[in-house]
Amino acid sequence: MHLPAHEFVKPRTLAESLDVLRQAGNVKLIAGGTDVTFNMRGRLFQPDVLLSVRGLDELSGVGVDGDGWLRVGAATRLTDIENAPALGDWPMLRKACRSVASRHVRNMATLGGNLCLDTRCWYTNQTAEWRQARGPCLKNGVEACHAIKTSPVCVALNASDIAPALIALDAEILLASADNERRLPLADFYTADGVHHTVRKSDELLVAVRVPPTADATVYIKETARKGNDFSYAVIAGRKTDERVSKLVLGCLSMRPIQLTGVLDVLGSGELTEALIDQAADACRAELGVLTNLYTPAAYKAGLARALVRRALQTLKET
Amino acid sequence: MAARPDDKLNVIGRRQRRIDGFDRVSGRSEFTDDIRLPGMLHGKILRSTQTHARIVRIDTSKAEELPGVKAVVTHKDAPDLMFSEHQPVLAGDVVRYVGEEIAAVAALDLLTAEEALELIEIEYEPLPSATTLRQALREGAPVLHVRSPDNVGPTMEKDWGDPDRGFAESDCVIEDEFRTPMQHNTLAELHVALADFSNPDKLHMYTPTQGAPMYQMELAKGFGLETSQVRVVYRNIGGAFTGRGRPKPHHFVAALLSRKAGKPVKIKATADEEFIMFRASGETVYKFRTGVTSDGVIKALEADITFDAGGHDEWAMILWLPSVYLNWVYQAVGVRYRGRFVFTNTVPKGSHHGGIMGRMSAGWQQHIAHVAQELGMDPADLHLKNAVMPGHESPDGSVFASCGLRDCIKAVVDRSGWKHKYGKLPKYRGIGIGLGAQASGSKAADNDTSAAMVKIAADGVVTLYTGIPDMGQGSHTVMCMIAAEVLGTEPESIRVVQGDSDITPFDWGAFSQRGTFTTGNAVKAACEDARQQLAEIASRELDVAADRLEFGAGRVAVRGNAEQSMSFSEVANKSLHSTEGRFVMGRGFFNSPKPFGALAFSFGAQVAEVEVDPVTGAVTVDKVWAAHDIGRVINRLAVEGQLDGQVFSGMSQVLYEECKVEDGLILNPSRLEYKLPRAYELPEVDYTLVETIDPYGPFGAKEVGEGPIVVSMSAVAAAVQNAVGAMVPEMPMTPWRVLRMLRATADGSTDVGKAWSEGLD
Repeated sequence: MHLPAHEFVKPRTLAESLDVLRQAGNVKLIAGGTDVTFNMRGRLFQPDVLLSVRGLDELSGVGVDGDGWLRVGAATRLTDIENAPALGDWPMLRKACRSVASRHVRNMATLGGNLCLDTRCWYTNQTAEWRQARGPCLKNGVEACHAIKTSPVCVALNASDIAPALIALDAEILLASADNERRLPLADFYTADGVHHTVRKSDELLVAVRVPPTADATVYIKETARKGNDFSYAVIAGRKTDERVSKLVLGCLSMRPIQLTGVLDVLGSGELTEALIDQAADACRAELGVLTNLYTPAAYKAGLARALVRRALQTLKET
Repeated sequence: MAARPDDKLNVIGRRQRRIDGFDRVSGRSEFTDDIRLPGMLHGKILRSTQTHARIVRIDTSKAEELPGVKAVVTHKDAPDLMFSEHQPVLAGDVVRYVGEEIAAVAALDLLTAEEALELIEIEYEPLPSATTLRQALREGAPVLHVRSPDNVGPTMEKDWGDPDRGFAESDCVIEDEFRTPMQHNTLAELHVALADFSNPDKLHMYTPTQGAPMYQMELAKGFGLETSQVRVVYRNIGGAFTGRGRPKPHHFVAALLSRKAGKPVKIKATADEEFIMFRASGETVYKFRTGVTSDGVIKALEADITFDAGGHDEWAMILWLPSVYLNWVYQAVGVRYRGRFVFTNTVPKGSHHGGIMGRMSAGWQQHIAHVAQELGMDPADLHLKNAVMPGHESPDGSVFASCGLRDCIKAVVDRSGWKHKYGKLPKYRGIGIGLGAQASGSKAADNDTSAAMVKIAADGVVTLYTGIPDMGQGSHTVMCMIAAEVLGTEPESIRVVQGDSDITPFDWGAFSQRGTFTTGNAVKAACEDARQQLAEIASRELDVAADRLEFGAGRVAVRGNAEQSMSFSEVANKSLHSTEGRFVMGRGFFNSPKPFGALAFSFGAQVAEVEVDPVTGAVTVDKVWAAHDIGRVINRLAVEGQLDGQVFSGMSQVLYEECKVEDGLILNPSRLEYKLPRAYELPEVDYTLVETIDPYGPFGAKEVGEGPIVVSMSAVAAAVQNAVGAMVPEMPMTPWRVLRMLRATADGSTDVGKAWSEGLD
């Protein structure tokens, strides 16, 4: 399939880009294009303007700010992040970046693109003819969901492998528009709605991600159908602060990454005994919300979440 | 003449690199999609978006008016052009599945063709549909074809030997049920057809194929031509795996568009369209029944198989394929087979890599392991006790002139340490054994002929003309090795002319594992003919009796006197550039003396060892021990490659592959979501080659093209069965299914099948 007709705009500066975002109507942002072009070929969206931010200076590069925070430009390629010496102090981020797709994809794909990845659903991520055969859904503005018939919101899955790691690291993001700039924790970026799955406004651009310095022990596990080059069945990112598990974030199981605060409450500051790990793993189901049969059966997702929590806690226990 | 094991061979049995290997890895190999003919148009097919509907109206006028569109075709353009007996190439009044071909467009470029498709208006009147076996067989189910009011299409019921006596003589009769899903062959090269029918007297069809004759015959029949008026041209081919045996609808559509537009038209599948075009295997339910004496003698074997044929019965051959497997492995008194096609509103089906036998074997060999378990026997002992032997005549009349099955079983049992492992492995580890047999060139009709020619040019260069395609299996390398052995030269020095039915001699093609066996025999005969011609000329020139000449290093020499010799060039010149004016051209052919069935059979046994993750349900295949009697090994490197590939594909089908189908739509029609494993998942393979020297095969060779995958699938399935503690009733054995099995067996459930069917997905 070919890309539908569109105007391709590639400004030289961030300011110009933000102007385009404010003025043009139906704009889709593109950086590496590994996901956007693919979905556009399938007519998942047909923007009037494709706005490329690839290689923009203001959006590129990895460095450590004066306050010791890591700063990564949103349009930095995943390969460049992996290879940046600064990442030595944030090993979980390096691991998460490296777990994405294949070397070829990471040579194109960007951090911002990964964090903003459109949610996925096997009733939507198909060709136009396929969707025509099946009928429209919430993604097309119609009150219908094929995954969960009664669902009032789109339940397509968040697909970012990196977001859980960055949330566990307390990362914050910088969003800019032509006349405003705001910071917010990455944890607050995502919503429980597969259609409008982030709080990014249509005139805003994700400029950078900042990660506070930390020496905490971390764990990152990605479960896939096969090794390498695949979307996840599920990922988990965890962190231990002062001998206490401080973060557990599950990704790719529902519309947004899930912070398992209830599991942390069960753990408290107790010693990570097998009994406590089991108890904590059992507690995770209540925090998952509604699970779908998208790509894997719902019961398997619940079981996998439990298994990943166990494995993450066992790893943290040993570190 | 059959070769003896002690024959001195120079080339046969080597580890020979592919003669086209460099071209392949350097990107120099040309594939069909690389071909661009002058004035070539691009075609696209409009497919049904309905599972079952009456077509009320088709309006193509807007598409026809779009600038750049050169032809639009619908059923009206070719109402009598049939794809199968009851199935027009382009749907007439009814569509029976999502994806059915309705109309097609040829345009100057692909973009315009795609745009034109969107301008075709179709009005449907939806009809009730049945998209699964269960729905189609239900009382009062929607009927797909009036000729089959119960939705049951062709059936086959056959007994061989005396199964009733066999069951009567049995102390114990075991039954099991197994299911396999719709699966898809993910070929490296997508389907593509480039038709040039601008001259209505000659249809040129450029396409990857397993053999030109069937394409010529079917296209000729469809378009009212003589077979020779259809020229089939092919280049390198990226895999076939049963999928390029005969033309598919897009071949006819491309020809139709080309005839109408007066220009060549290329139709190439998109990656998702491939799942519709391929016609892979469908949902299948197997009921196995085996009668056995208390001391482990298998008396009777029975299988009852229900196939989802899809919307049309395109390939009825699938019906009888599994029956042979029942006949060829064990020495039973009787075999009973029941097969039936059921129509559903889904894409018509063909088969997956391994034919139907591979899929069946994943259940059947678990069933045989279950029989052993009931008897308190080690399954390896049960296999060995009942395995066929040389000289055996199976109930279906097949005679095994050579057979090393028992040696194969012994080899894998020995090499895998089976006796130390079976029943003794830690929890969640499993070991399984499977057996298989495969015909090497199974003749279904008189025209199962291979012919070959070999030319020795005046410069001494040997050129082989063959119609056998190389789909990646390395057949051309094997043919060059056979030719080099006979002519006393090197495989790399031989040129191969292939891929054009106007030029190459008749060859039925690469089906039913006939390449090495049948074409190999033809090439051998052609080279022997050429050798005799060379010997005659050299004998005259060197003034020595022909039987005193020997061939080696591209020369003809007097035995024991290397001084007295001539190069091929010198010999060919003496013949060609003289008043004689005759060039050296050997001809050979092979057509089995048997009217039906095969002359030679390959056999194999494999043991697989697996580990199941009790938390995630993931299965890892750690190692596979494979022992195969494939007759004489021609190219050891290619044989090992075949074994690796088939272990991989077998494991992949058993553990990973599944088209998720919902309401007649495939939910995962992409290489991303159809979870094929990758090289990382390939287990270590230990090879044992049992070289029985077959009296009919070229230098004693049989086949290695499909036999091993059937065995791999059974061994991997039996290993998972062993690890989870009960027969796994369904493929693929995905993590969630394995977890469900583990729960069921942990609960001490006596009826795992029931626990299974009440499961979630």
